[in-house]
Amino acid sequence: MSFYRSAQYGFMKDLGAPALFWLERKRKKKKPPKPNPHLGPPLKCAGRLREIMTRHYYLSRFAQGARPVAWVTSGAPVEILRAFDFYTVYPENHGALCGAQKMGPDLCAEAEHRGYHSDLCSYARIDLGHAFTGKTPAGHLPKPDVLFCSNNICQTVLYWYKALSHNWDIPLILFDTPFNFRDIREVDVSYMVQQLEEMIPLLERISGKKFSESRFEEIIGIGAESSLTWGEVLATMKHKPAPMTIFDAFVHMAPVVSLRGLPVALDYYRILLEELKERVRQGIGAVPHERKRLLWDNIAVWFKLREWSLLFAERDFNFVAATYTNAWAETIHYLNRESPFESMARAYSLVILNNNLDHRLKLMEEMVRDYQVDGMVMLSLRSCKPYSVGQYDLRRLLAERLGIKALIIEADMTDFRTYSEEQTRTRLEAFFEELEG
Amino acid sequence: MSRKEYLLQQKEKGRRIFGVFPALYPKEVFWALDTVPVEIWDPPLQVAAASAHLQPYICSVVRLGLELVLQGKTGFLDGFLFPHTCDSMQNLASLINDHIKGPQACHFFYHPKEPYGKGARAFYRHELEGLAQSLEGQLGVLKNEALQEQMAQGQKISGLFQNLYDLRAQDKLDMSNRAFYEAIRRNEFLFPDDLIPELEGHVKKGGEAKARGGVPVILSGVLPNPPELLTLLDELEIRVAHDDLLACSRRLLVPQATRVDPYEQLVERYFSMNPCSTKGSSISRREAYLLGLLQKTGAKGVIFNVVKFCEPEWFDVPNLVEGLKRQGVPSLVLDTELNQGLSGQMATRVEAFTEMIG
Repeated sequence: MSFYRSAQYGFMKDLGAPALFWLERKRKKKKPPKPNPHLGPPLKCAGRLREIMTRHYYLSRFAQGARPVAWVTSGAPVEILRAFDFYTVYPENHGALCGAQKMGPDLCAEAEHRGYHSDLCSYARIDLGHAFTGKTPAGHLPKPDVLFCSNNICQTVLYWYKALSHNWDIPLILFDTPFNFRDIREVDVSYMVQQLEEMIPLLERISGKKFSESRFEEIIGIGAESSLTWGEVLATMKHKPAPMTIFDAFVHMAPVVSLRGLPVALDYYRILLEELKERVRQGIGAVPHERKRLLWDNIAVWFKLREWSLLFAERDFNFVAATYTNAWAETIHYLNRESPFESMARAYSLVILNNNLDHRLKLMEEMVRDYQVDGMVMLSLRSCKPYSVGQYDLRRLLAERLGIKALIIEADMTDFRTYSEEQTRTRLEAFFEELEG
Repeated sequence: MSRKEYLLQQKEKGRRIFGVFPALYPKEVFWALDTVPVEIWDPPLQVAAASAHLQPYICSVVRLGLELVLQGKTGFLDGFLFPHTCDSMQNLASLINDHIKGPQACHFFYHPKEPYGKGARAFYRHELEGLAQSLEGQLGVLKNEALQEQMAQGQKISGLFQNLYDLRAQDKLDMSNRAFYEAIRRNEFLFPDDLIPELEGHVKKGGEAKARGGVPVILSGVLPNPPELLTLLDELEIRVAHDDLLACSRRLLVPQATRVDPYEQLVERYFSMNPCSTKGSSISRREAYLLGLLQKTGAKGVIFNVVKFCEPEWFDVPNLVEGLKRQGVPSLVLDTELNQGLSGQMATRVEAFTEMIG
């Protein structure tokens, strides 16, 4: 690591960034948005979240050469990287950011221009498009020293990171999590524990830092606490009316994905939880006249978040749960400081997408009951096959067992070139009628 | 004799029949349990019933496999094996086991992905033993001697495949492209006692054959489908001199194992297989493998014949094409469906490519 870069990073972290954000706050005294009768007051925490994430991306510009940098998949056991002080960048989170900023098609097209098929995952195409051109709404992303990938969310990330590793000649570390066709087996756990143990000397070499067990345990503690608090945040939506919508949760999940294991994420969720509890105490709903409660299945459609949030709220329908947001809370109770590696192996390999469809069905049934759900929207994503294959049967089974009305819509999370507004609207209108009936 | 007739005949002989989905699994374990593993890659069906369970953007290997099950054409099977090949195959396994629930028992097989850790070999061995144990529960005791014997058969078959591929690489095999793949793909259902004489026959004939000539190319992808592509190449006097196909050379050409213990032999074989996208092999390894094939055969170009929606392959193709280009090797990328023939446009592209390299 270079002394100059480290000093520059330290300066920006401690002085530059805070000063810039202070100025930004001063400059941008935005008028509060006009209240919408179908929506409750916006979450006060939203500004703080924006600052945290902006600061994260802003500082990433100075991270290269100052701190070891890793690009990480959203389901990877990041706690082990934190122990070596890696600056972590999440290409999937960056993909969501590009999607929300409607940059998806442009970046995807850059990857397609270099031979990547338009049928491939759009997060991957955005990331490769960014890697080829440097285009990003975040200003600049630091080039990684290592790529850290776990196939617990899909095999796609392995193919994608292999391409990055090849293009940049950067080492790729894989946390290979055997898929749970049935229950997890001891042999799977031992295999994963061994992989985690083997990573330590490798990460020591890449980062130039010695591994500290006590530091690692501390990080595990913070990571577990952040995810548990995130779980509590989501659980507030069990109340009627729910104090936030899943569209809020899609945005507020950014720290648990990208900053997991850091105190800033934990602090943030504690504040958010307090705000939500207060809303529950005061009976403030995100959709004040909430009549129907819905479950969302799959990744968010980032370029439609606000529009769909209003579309449903106008009918007093609220999404109160999502299998997607739940994924960062679902298995965290396995994680503990006493047996960090073994507990990490379980926590990370038992996530929804590394589990069989029967597990997913039971989980969804539980969510329908716990959150008193009336209907469900399933997003069928060409980009995400492990999430999408099986949805037709899940819909049928949930309808048969719980009488849940469900709609499957086709869209992409970021690439709106394949999205048909008219077709989706027609289907949504029919679904609304069915729910009302 | 057709595949179905052969399998029914085997059934009459008292052998059990297992439907095996793609791609990498230890055949010898099945043989040692006197069971015929029949592989389900590209059944000649029209997808209809499977559309009620799978989205249109799922590859035709998965869609056709499910169609076969839903059309009731797997009723005579004793069970299924699902190796962990890709996301779609993984969820198909779960869909059939958890939600469609046919009468057959489902078994699963996870193989470690690259880059391998030090524990990958031990884990793979556990997987092999676990599979054997799970099959024993249904098919009876797996005797070590039987497995040893089938390992020897497996080694012999690998050797014969190597001979056949070498003969073809040297243009000493008088077989059209289509005939070659029809012959070698019989390994997907023949029991070793029947497969070995067939392969020996081809090798013997090859030794006596004259050169066919034609412009040599390498075929890369999952399968040599649609068959119309092979016919077109035959008509254009293009000789597939070697391949990098998942269903073919990537798993059939395995170096001879040196270990004594049969499970260790299986471990050795898995880890010495040719690089493959479904194992997570690095692009550099794949590129080096292709360049090696080009050097060995004198092939003039590479045809990437990729099944539509096949993520493991499609992610590697751009870098492989680029790597070959740097070495001055032309390539052609085709986006094909398994059983839907060759469109006029695609045929024109193939023709243009062959003119360029011819």
